[in-house]
Amino acid sequence: MAVPGNGISRRLVSWARIKSPWITVYNSGGCNACDIEIIACLMPRFDVERFGILVRGSPRHADILIVTGTPTLKQASRLRRVWEQIPEPKYVIALGACGSSGGVFRGLYQVVDRVESVIPVDVYVAGCPPRPDEIINAVVRCIDLLREDTAHGGKEWRQKKPLPAPVPGEKSPAEVP
Amino acid sequence: MTRPVNPETIAERVQEFGAVLQVRKNRIAVKTDPGRLHDAITTIQAVLGFDRLITISTVDRGGTFELLYHLIGPHRIIVSLAVDIPRTRPVMPTMSDLLPPAGIYERQIHDLFGIVFEGHPDLTRVVLNEDWPAGEYPMRKDWKPDPGHFYGGIKTEEELKCQK
Repeated sequence: MAVPGNGISRRLVSWARIKSPWITVYNSGGCNACDIEIIACLMPRFDVERFGILVRGSPRHADILIVTGTPTLKQASRLRRVWEQIPEPKYVIALGACGSSGGVFRGLYQVVDRVESVIPVDVYVAGCPPRPDEIINAVVRCIDLLREDTAHGGKEWRQKKPLPAPVPGEKSPAEVP
Repeated sequence: MTRPVNPETIAERVQEFGAVLQVRKNRIAVKTDPGRLHDAITTIQAVLGFDRLITISTVDRGGTFELLYHLIGPHRIIVSLAVDIPRTRPVMPTMSDLLPPAGIYERQIHDLFGIVFEGHPDLTRVVLNEDWPAGEYPMRKDWKPDPGHFYGGIKTEEELKCQK
């Protein structure tokens, strides 16, 4: 994370981040159904502001980026630029079937298949469209990740370690009878 | 001028531009040719009150491209002016001087089908991404993506790792 150490200002910043995650929504070429569900989250029935979740128009104010839809070739560079503008620590939610895997648009000539091939994604949400409570759950999961990352001092601990190089002459477990 | 409200009057009036096909009660299709289309739109705009362009649709029929100009007026009757242009020379006079909204549709058709609209003020890309290779028109039936070409998007995984 940006501020090293464990001083009072550091703890204050972490506390504020965990208490109030601000999100920004980016539609990279979807059908707007996911966006309608996000709007349903903001409405009084689900009311995400009681958790401190606030939707911001500018990515520079946001902590969490929600990407809906399959990124098209035209949107891929724009999506990357939006992602670069978000200050660290940032988290990305790929929303819906299209964002997670490409959905029904996978393999078409004008799409990059999924959000993960453009920007690193932390949380995937299934569904077409996902329910508002699943979206809230994804944001809460991002807060959990933020809390764990703050305890570990960065995102690096979550990255998968490469497998150790095989020892020459040693049989792999599959070959041992 | 009394505005004609029944489809039969309109069908009689547009007969001079080509074969008329009464599809439904409020739909008229006219098969005309590229040279007469400008006159046809001028006439039906001025005389019959077709003042609004719904859209221009394009069909790839193998040897030819079929362009359909759908116009509507306050009488809620839609007339579709169909034009065939050869695939070997896909050139068409622009209608954006008569119908200003036709300009954006023509840019889109130029982008996806490669049809050149002569006289268009600004025939540039509008739908596809800026780094799409020139001379590739994805809505043509015989188009296949070339694995050797770069069609835009994000180039490599290494680039992503560098910026992370």
